Amino acid sequence: MAVASRPVTGTRGLKSGRRPAYQKFEGVYNRVLSLLVLVLLWQLVSMLISERYAPGPLLTLTALAETAASGALTKHFVATMVRMLSSFALAMAVGVVLGVIMGLYRRGEQFLDLGVMVMLTIPGLCYVIISFMWLGLNDRAAVLAIAWTTFPVITINLWQGVKAIDQRLTDMASVFRASRWRRTVRIVIPQVLPYVMAAARFALGVIWKVTVLVELLGRPDGVGYMLNHSFQMFQMANVFAWTLFFTFVMLSIELAVLKPLESRLFRWRPEIRA
Amino acid sequence: MAAITLQRLSKFYWSRAHPQGLVALEDVSLAVGDREFVCLLGPSGCGKTTVLNVLSGLDRDYIGEVRMAGELLSRNGTHPFRIGYVFQEPRLLPWLTVRGNIEFALGSVGIPRIQWRERADVWLNRVGLSDFAEAHPHELSGGMQQRTAIARAFAVDPELLLMDEPFSGLDELTARSMRELLLALWQETKKTVVFVTHNCFEACFVADRILVFSPRPGRVRQEITVELPRPRNYENPRLFEMSVSVTRLVTGGADSL
Repeated sequence: MAVASRPVTGTRGLKSGRRPAYQKFEGVYNRVLSLLVLVLLWQLVSMLISERYAPGPLLTLTALAETAASGALTKHFVATMVRMLSSFALAMAVGVVLGVIMGLYRRGEQFLDLGVMVMLTIPGLCYVIISFMWLGLNDRAAVLAIAWTTFPVITINLWQGVKAIDQRLTDMASVFRASRWRRTVRIVIPQVLPYVMAAARFALGVIWKVTVLVELLGRPDGVGYMLNHSFQMFQMANVFAWTLFFTFVMLSIELAVLKPLESRLFRWRPEIRA
Repeated sequence: MAAITLQRLSKFYWSRAHPQGLVALEDVSLAVGDREFVCLLGPSGCGKTTVLNVLSGLDRDYIGEVRMAGELLSRNGTHPFRIGYVFQEPRLLPWLTVRGNIEFALGSVGIPRIQWRERADVWLNRVGLSDFAEAHPHELSGGMQQRTAIARAFAVDPELLLMDEPFSGLDELTARSMRELLLALWQETKKTVVFVTHNCFEACFVADRILVFSPRPGRVRQEITVELPRPRNYENPRLFEMSVSVTRLVTGGADSL
């Protein structure tokens, strides 16, 4: 029997890595909308309760503008950022090194895993108090306490990341005679990098919360100190202003630094479609 | 002169499941000639992959003697042969493009950078992936990924090509065309190939010589010379006959051929 056949035409094009523009705008649009709803709700609640207990957006912004005009905003903001960034650097250094050791060596894992778990469990407040009692009410103690609270989270992320390294890819590289250096730089680091990013993100979240606590308990400046100050004076608008301002700063770090960095580093990843 | 000789190779594994040790290979001796295409055929778990890992230098914890072109394979130095390895899975680096993956291998074996582009282009063209050079592996089908892996293995101009069930993860139609592609490339380049498979038909189609392994502990049970003319053709009735008798040999008793 003859088989009738004809060529099938049409080629399957490559999926392009970029989303169409309208989808991007849709995302921005929805987010702006959700923000507007939030502000509106805020206004509504403040009107229902009273401006004294729940200052509305306008009053809060006025308080913020006054703080900025007096120079206090810059001064305390810089103090907080310096503490945050120094403890971030310290926590990342310690956390990454320990995590890599735990991921690479069984003995390191057995030696460290309990300790890291314990340190993760202890509340940040304990480190803060211990640190101030040991080193006095100074910035060294502050940075130590913040880094101490933060590094276990980083260690655990890196530990998991190093353990997840695909040995089969490393084997492939050694068969093709890749040097140890080349395997580390070209095979291992690209696999661990997503975990480093995740760790950095967690770390920033924890650090911000511990930093205000540290400043409240034992520093004469910083956002935490000012929050406490406003609390003592019962200036609700100022409490709102500081909270709003720092939330805005943290969001900006996420959107202006972490997100772009991530999409640059991990551009190769398949896009997850909802 | 034989390119490779294995003398009384044995391999044991110790694990929690086998505290007394598991004999993966026992007294395996074999030789592979220069520019010969040899198939290691046997059921899963008979140590075929272990042989490849010993040959490639990935596994250096074995008993016995391995010689490459007469030279004893060192247990700690670099491998005397430049090796191309096609694994069962493509093992591509997902963060590199198809071209990037080939260039990674070229750079690893020490080929000067100025030759990378041309070499990658040549081999991508030969496996039919020129249009996908800048695509990432996740954008390719399984067959295309494995073709990239084949291009990578050939691109380093290997003195020894090792292939570990390279087509077993593909559907049969894709596997068929891939085997033809492989034989065409081999015909051009005449590399020394050690090809592991559990597929009798595949072994008969590609190999000059088939070494049949027995199940655990792995041993070479039989040696079959395939005297089918090249280029090989799927429609050749003798290929079919041969694969039937090899299948009978592998599945049935030892001396029925």
